[in-house]
Amino acid sequence: MSESRLEVFLARIYVDQTAREKFLADPRGEATRAGLAAHEIDDVVNIDRDGLELFAHSLEHKRANKHGHPKN
Amino acid sequence: MAVGAEAVAVVVEGEMNVDRFGLGWRPRLAAGILANLDRIDIVEVIADDYFRAPRHERRALQTLAAQTPVTLHGVSLGLASAVPVQTRRLDDMARLCAAVAPESWSEHLAFVRGGGIEIGHLAAPPRTEATIEGALANLARAKEIVGVAPHVENVATLIDPPGSDRDEAAWLSAIIRNSESKLLLDLHNLHANAINFNFNPCVFLAKIPVERIATIHLAGGKWIGRNGAQRLLDDHLHDVPDPVYELLEEVAARAPQTLTVIIERDGKFPAIESLLAQLDRARQAVSRGRARALKQQVAA
Repeated sequence: MSESRLEVFLARIYVDQTAREKFLADPRGEATRAGLAAHEIDDVVNIDRDGLELFAHSLEHKRANKHGHPKN
Repeated sequence: MAVGAEAVAVVVEGEMNVDRFGLGWRPRLAAGILANLDRIDIVEVIADDYFRAPRHERRALQTLAAQTPVTLHGVSLGLASAVPVQTRRLDDMARLCAAVAPESWSEHLAFVRGGGIEIGHLAAPPRTEATIEGALANLARAKEIVGVAPHVENVATLIDPPGSDRDEAAWLSAIIRNSESKLLLDLHNLHANAINFNFNPCVFLAKIPVERIATIHLAGGKWIGRNGAQRLLDDHLHDVPDPVYELLEEVAARAPQTLTVIIERDGKFPAIESLLAQLDRARQAVSRGRARALKQQVAA
């Protein structure tokens, strides 16, 4: 198995606010530059934006509060 | 280096003749748990807390395991990934299992890192053939190194995982049916996902191999987000809500095997009596489910 480009891409936009803002401003361009496959680009262009923002916010909150384990 | 066979003999599946009910071990709950072991059948310990723990803390865990059934719960392996799980992380789990001899161990079907970035949370992976194959390969390596396959847990997600080509039930079922792992079904995760992504949790239960459920997690959460786009966050900081008890009854009605039910609480700790009362509600829910199944058997 090779490193999944999609997983790496998702990890970045979940955690890195700058990467996330760049992605939301130009989803197709950022996904293309990340080297995702064509079907993956289509998928991330149609990403669940509300969910992305909420998940990213919950991660920031967790880090800010040093909130124990990475559990759900 | 893999720890290997010496860990194999010490992780033994407990004999489970009756349904059992327990709590997640947290330092703030320790005194309450130890004072009420007559009402707590099993404790679940976060394994990662002990990988680098001082010797006296490991000894305390061994003492606990000698007093009451213990299961170890991992949170950082990242088993559900197209990327192989790191051997050193599996070695950590193998060493802890060898030291503690838990009756079982478990991990999440999540990815937690990518490209050197630690997400710091359990992320639902794209639900694809690639992540199924990755998870199956990782589970096989986990069994090889630790000696026993982990029970695997469904995760809650606030985001519909991008890149998915199937629903959660189909993805989860493929992993369970093609691995040796039993299912740790987190009912608050199921409840939250069902609300957030608008599916019927009972239909989900009808699609998955309920006969492979070994353990159930119960927890609580809260609503987050702006009006019109709110979602339910599984935060383990609130009491178990009524719909989760209803799902527990449903599982008990559908799954004839004995179940281990664990309540997880990670903060805003109530008095231990409150958690024990929630365990009692769980017992009642399972009893109702068992009674329903018996009634259906008699009627058939």
